[in-house]
Amino acid sequence: MEEKPPLNAAEEHLQSLEKKVEDLRLLMDVSSLISSTLDFNELIGLVMEKAKEVMHADACSILVYNKKTGRLEFEVALSSDESSGELLKKHVTLGLGEGIAGWVAQTLEPIVVGQAAKDDRHSNHADTMTGFTTKSMIAVPLVGRSGLIGVAEILNPIGRDTFSVYDLEIFQALCRQIAVAMENAVFHLESLEKERLKQELELAATIQRSFLPPLPVYEKGIMRVSGFTLPAKHVGGDLYDFAEPVPGKIGVLIGDISGKGVSAALFMAKVISDFRYQMHGVDDPGVVMSSLNRQMSDTPRGMFLTAMYAVADMQTGSVKVSVAGHPPFLWITATEVKVMDLEGGPPVGIMEIDYPTSQLTLAPGDRLIMVTDGVFDAKNSEGKRLGFEEIVAFAIRNRQDDRLTERIVDFVGSFTGDADRADDLTIVELRRMT
Amino acid sequence: MHCDIGDYKGNMVISLSGDVDMHSSPALRDKLLGVIKNKPPRLIVNFRGVSYIDSSGIATFVEGLKHVKAYKGRLQFSELPQSIMDIFSFSKLDKVFEICGNLDDAVSR
Repeated sequence: MEEKPPLNAAEEHLQSLEKKVEDLRLLMDVSSLISSTLDFNELIGLVMEKAKEVMHADACSILVYNKKTGRLEFEVALSSDESSGELLKKHVTLGLGEGIAGWVAQTLEPIVVGQAAKDDRHSNHADTMTGFTTKSMIAVPLVGRSGLIGVAEILNPIGRDTFSVYDLEIFQALCRQIAVAMENAVFHLESLEKERLKQELELAATIQRSFLPPLPVYEKGIMRVSGFTLPAKHVGGDLYDFAEPVPGKIGVLIGDISGKGVSAALFMAKVISDFRYQMHGVDDPGVVMSSLNRQMSDTPRGMFLTAMYAVADMQTGSVKVSVAGHPPFLWITATEVKVMDLEGGPPVGIMEIDYPTSQLTLAPGDRLIMVTDGVFDAKNSEGKRLGFEEIVAFAIRNRQDDRLTERIVDFVGSFTGDADRADDLTIVELRRMT
Repeated sequence: MHCDIGDYKGNMVISLSGDVDMHSSPALRDKLLGVIKNKPPRLIVNFRGVSYIDSSGIATFVEGLKHVKAYKGRLQFSELPQSIMDIFSFSKLDKVFEICGNLDDAVSR
């Protein structure tokens, strides 16, 4: 074989520069790859293929740090034997300090290992499993804004015995980009998941609203009922319902499921369907409440319902009421505001009990205003709660106002201000018109 | 919310402070059910220092009470601040839970 003539210093320098230009070009390729996709799986495979090319190496891998387990798990392992990667992903994890990758993760220091077999830190567990022999390697910690992400390794340079310090510099430059890309991909995944959940919640809220009466106002005979509810987080646990349990009577239910969110909304749907079944043909609200309680005796996680059920006569203005752990209601007459804390039972779903029924008669123009605790437990940005007494005082001041329920909603809104409402808010009014 | 598990005259006591709400009740549930798993004949929850309890907090105690009743144990509440007592009486939960003045009152019952 013909020997190549020795290069002079200028030519060597030129070749070295050309190599650096080529490496820079590949690094730029990696940069554009990284900005081309936010799909984590697609991205990481592409980037590591490029890494192998840039580094002229036999194999490369990325181990991701699992914060829950505190261990490094193989995310990508590329070599000529494709099955090795799958074996490593399924069966090999490393603790901090374990093996060279574990040492790098623990110290957050990059390392060039000339002869892996002679390095005490090297664990040959992965090699034994895959049949691969690690000779020389570079391992670099991947660190993002939120701390350790993982460790990137490049193994066995092609045509050389060991990696150089220059190789380490190139690989570190590459790894800085990989770390940013991995972190961005994770943030992107999280924001996609948040968006998906938000859409699910909006759909759940739409379905939940379909359980409420189709129109918020119901008028029959001399009685008029109106309801208003505002869930705290898209879907909530407050409910109201109007129905005609027997001819000539109107049934009005207001309730509040313990807890919030989707679980409370699902439970609310069950309560409404159970209630509609139980109230049919019964004009004694205590009987309906007791049946509902028996049906809900085995609720999950201690969930319960505070409720008030009133059955009003559409001709006489007589109202029968049963209360299950629900806040007192207001009886607004021509001359006063009465706080009605009737004898009742604890919330539905807690213990076996028969709920009593109380009776009252509305005069023309009288109103009953029923609320859930979200109305008076509303908190402002300083953490102060509005309080039931404030609602009563407001009702007294505005008792002549025909649109008192709307005024109360506005009053709660102006008290809450910019603070997030933590609880659902529901107001139902039962009014005798004439 | 802060939650400590201790002992008073040979009885299990869970001491609470802060807000017991939907953010803190999962942690309370873990501790409460963890204690109840050992079926203590009497479990006292001391409310001194509790500033607020919402329905998810109460539901946690309802769940605990159902477990305790299943093995015929007792779940007692002591030192309820007036604002918490108001919430319990407002919702007639004083008919559900055994509410005591202080720890001595609880253990003497």
